[in-house]
Amino acid sequence: MQSSSTTQTNSKSAAPLEVHDLTVAYTKRPVLYGIDLKVPKGSIVGVVGPNGAGKSTLIKAIMGLLPVSSGWIKVFGKPFKKAVTRIGYVPQRESVDWDFPVNALDVVLMGRYGRLGPFKRPSKADKEIAMSCLEKVKMTSYATRQISNLSGGQQQRVFLARALAQESDLYLMDEPFVGVDATTEAAIIEILRELQAQGKTLIVVHHDLTTAPEYFDRILLLNMRVVAYGKTADVFTFENLQNAYGGRLSILSEVALSRARKKFDGDTRDNVG
Amino acid sequence: MREHFFPDFDWHTVFVQPWAEYGDNSFWIVLMGFLVSGTCGLVGCFVILRRMALVGDAISHSLLPGITIAFLLTNSRDTLPMMLGAIAAGITTVVLIEAIRHSSRIKPDAAIGIVFSSLFAIGIILISVFADKIDLDAECVLYGELGFIPLQDIAMLGGVEIGPEPVIRMAIIAVIAIGLLIAFFKEMLVTSFDPGLAASLGINPTRYQYGLTLFLSVVIVSSFESVGVVLVIAMIIFPGATALLITDRLPKAIWLSILFSLLYAVLGFHLATWLEASIAGGMTVIAGFIFGLVWMAAPKRGLLTKLVKRSFKRETTSP
Amino acid sequence: MNRAGKQILFTLALLALPILAHAAKIGDISETSWTEQAIDFFSFQQPIIRTALIGTLLIGFCCGILGSFLVVRKLSLLGDTLSHAVLPGVAMGFLWNASKDPWAIFVGATAAGILGVALVGWIKQTTHLKEDSAMGMVLAGFYGVGICMTTVIQNLAMGNKSGLDKFFFGQAAALSSGDIRLLGIISLITVVVILLFYKEFLVISFDIGFAQALGMPVKILHYALMALLTFAVVVSLQAVGVVLVSALLITPAAAAFLLTDRMHWMLVLAAVFGMLSGAIGAFVSYLSNNLPTGPFIVLGATSIFLLALLFGPRHGLLPKILRRRKQRKRIALENTLKAVFHLNENSQFTKRAFEAGKLATERNASLHETEAEIRNLVKAGMALRLDTANGTKMSGKAQFELTKPGWYRACEIVRNHRLWELYLTNAAQYQTDHVHDDAEDTEHHLGEDIVLRIEARLKNPIHDPHGKLIPNRDAIKP
Repeated sequence: MQSSSTTQTNSKSAAPLEVHDLTVAYTKRPVLYGIDLKVPKGSIVGVVGPNGAGKSTLIKAIMGLLPVSSGWIKVFGKPFKKAVTRIGYVPQRESVDWDFPVNALDVVLMGRYGRLGPFKRPSKADKEIAMSCLEKVKMTSYATRQISNLSGGQQQRVFLARALAQESDLYLMDEPFVGVDATTEAAIIEILRELQAQGKTLIVVHHDLTTAPEYFDRILLLNMRVVAYGKTADVFTFENLQNAYGGRLSILSEVALSRARKKFDGDTRDNVG
Repeated sequence: MREHFFPDFDWHTVFVQPWAEYGDNSFWIVLMGFLVSGTCGLVGCFVILRRMALVGDAISHSLLPGITIAFLLTNSRDTLPMMLGAIAAGITTVVLIEAIRHSSRIKPDAAIGIVFSSLFAIGIILISVFADKIDLDAECVLYGELGFIPLQDIAMLGGVEIGPEPVIRMAIIAVIAIGLLIAFFKEMLVTSFDPGLAASLGINPTRYQYGLTLFLSVVIVSSFESVGVVLVIAMIIFPGATALLITDRLPKAIWLSILFSLLYAVLGFHLATWLEASIAGGMTVIAGFIFGLVWMAAPKRGLLTKLVKRSFKRETTSP
Repeated sequence: MNRAGKQILFTLALLALPILAHAAKIGDISETSWTEQAIDFFSFQQPIIRTALIGTLLIGFCCGILGSFLVVRKLSLLGDTLSHAVLPGVAMGFLWNASKDPWAIFVGATAAGILGVALVGWIKQTTHLKEDSAMGMVLAGFYGVGICMTTVIQNLAMGNKSGLDKFFFGQAAALSSGDIRLLGIISLITVVVILLFYKEFLVISFDIGFAQALGMPVKILHYALMALLTFAVVVSLQAVGVVLVSALLITPAAAAFLLTDRMHWMLVLAAVFGMLSGAIGAFVSYLSNNLPTGPFIVLGATSIFLLALLFGPRHGLLPKILRRRKQRKRIALENTLKAVFHLNENSQFTKRAFEAGKLATERNASLHETEAEIRNLVKAGMALRLDTANGTKMSGKAQFELTKPGWYRACEIVRNHRLWELYLTNAAQYQTDHVHDDAEDTEHHLGEDIVLRIEARLKNPIHDPHGKLIPNRDAIKP
């Protein structure tokens, strides 16, 4: 790795996120390849890379939603399942059915479910927390609206409020700025900074290169592998970006693809591009 | 025997006579109809939201070989073996669909179609081959017959007759359904809405998916006797789908679906009495009719409502 | 993958149970009548057999072709919806003149079917209900109306109403010559329309947006296809039954989809499979008195599908398993070769013959396993046993050496391994301690062209990241 993580700041507690030699392959497509990553507490990490670089896959793998082919992931020094309550998640907006019969408040309340455990219903206190989270994203007046009646930006704010309601220490956000108006984007980034000030750690998948250096203090340049990772100023170099976006490693992706195919299919063709 | 398709409508014979002269029978029939469609509707709300409607259809068809084999093995119509056979068939269906999907490039819709039709065919063949040994009538399987409910064995509790056995069984299932709904409402809600979030909250979406499928099989098997394998899917989809056209909130939709179920049972019974038709068929016709009505004239989203509102707006805005 | 395969096998076994039970049952009715019926069937003497067979063949043909379009458009269950939705139309046609007039039933059923499909589309467009709910509602709603009507008809004082129950499970013997004529016409129309508009149907099936951009009348084409489908479903009802006719649309087409990658071949195969299923159904149901045709046609189609699923050359499970096993063998062989190369390397390339015991230590395996590996090498012509005195039994001291092809292959594998390690560290910036395991795997999958490109990219390197020599291309291939 070009700039390997050099963090001695948090030697006492385990790092919010540590990934070692992680490889993830969908049935026929390898997506992540030998990923090493250590995220220090209190940082905002932007995950940047071209389409199909495996950004969302990384988030999903951390959440245990995808099987891991090799390597391991630790959240606060534990496997994901043991650290569930310390993780907040903001999925991509297209991933849910917006016609679903719930209103904005219901969605935010879902963020409390993890703490409730089985057989318990959300209490009044939970509802108050949910309302205050809605207030933080300036959506109180929309609390009783069915979610399909919200604009894209408002929907994203509801998702953010839900993540806030999870009261987690590590937040994973998948493209929170997609399809969002400028005011919402500013509001979201303000909330992210606030969370950071409270010592929370944020990992944000982002596709906009122009705003990335402004938003994040660390950047993970991803393209199937870690192209570069570290402080924004160190990572955001022309050479690194060209490495990530230039497709100069077509051999790597080709070999990985044909290898995965052979494994799953018993395909005997050689290196089909 | 009569001459015309639509007999003359006579208020007395259609609405009064069934209650005045055969009050007991009518009560059990309508109660059973309500319990069936109410329970199906309750489960159905989640089935719709998870886009499993056609999986439900597949399960309802596949139960046939399950109960037939259970019947052949035990030679009895006891509830337990039938139930076990049906659950086994339900699980087999889901497992087969998943297996075909994962082991080949067949898309889920085709996998569903292949699996349920094959299993249903096996069931029909078994029934027609062992016709002399099975008193499962193929037509009964297709239509179901609510009219026979009062003729079934009477369940006893502590020496007191409490009602026809199928009704009592269905009532127990309904109570279980309500209990499960209350206990797992928030888990069902979040796994249906956003499986990713559910996983991040430590709620395993697959577990609830399979739980729902399992319970769906139980509900279907206890219902099919009354409404038949095809119409059970009507009872599963119609109440929830109609309710979801009216309201934006899930709890409200569930209440509404129960209300609709009651309407189906009562109106369907009287429609069938009038036409001398299958009661389950009558209930489905009512269900379809109410859906059409709501679709056209629901308060906020009805097609006609929108039309009227639009023309009203035009009138007020134009000078 | 493997698990899915096991699941399938397990459930297949489960499925076989009732079929076996059924076979036993047929056996004990009466052995003679069973064979007599079979002989009777294949003599094709009786007109009723000919009618039934021609009918089921035509049905299989139509449904196979049209179903293919449903399967590739992921609309398989629309066929199911359609087949249930026609029921009230059938009853309506029946009421028309209280007889089983094929034309009246045809018109009524077609109208109901097209209305059903249109309703599905309309519900989807105007409400937020999803397609599956819409299909389920139309399916069950229309069917409910149909059941209401049929039960009413059974109470009516009308003429011949015996035919109606055949519409549920299907009886090929109930096909009349009028039905056959109708079937023939529908088959002809299907073939002509598909031939004339093949490319249009192909485009709307693959990419409806693109078809629109090309200016094709997408809506008309869609409804034309739906009309053809409705025709096919309606004429199939009597032989296959309402509930199962969708299987005839889906299963043969799905089987064809497993065997070919080209649409026109899929149509041909699906038609053939459909006809085969029809013939199977007609034959089996003729064997005994009270056997319905529809379910046997469906099971015929399912058997074909399962054969395709298991043995299909390209996508079949069994060929896949065999291919994988072959590959595992190759990899094991190559790993042995690599170990022999390392022995060579350790001796500074001074020795050629080695002892089996040495190889066992290098491979970290037991002598027994190593014996088997050496035997495999010998069988593949890549090694020679130098002492055959002890027969097949080997001792730790048994000597062997690589043949020329064996040595070349060993060099290739080691070259692949080291090149890939170098590529990962130099070009992809992996750390040197990460690359070995990956190369262990990748070395078996590098084709010659990729190797050339890696060499070019790394400017024909000589040493790997650990400082070892990379076997030279020219030395490997003389």
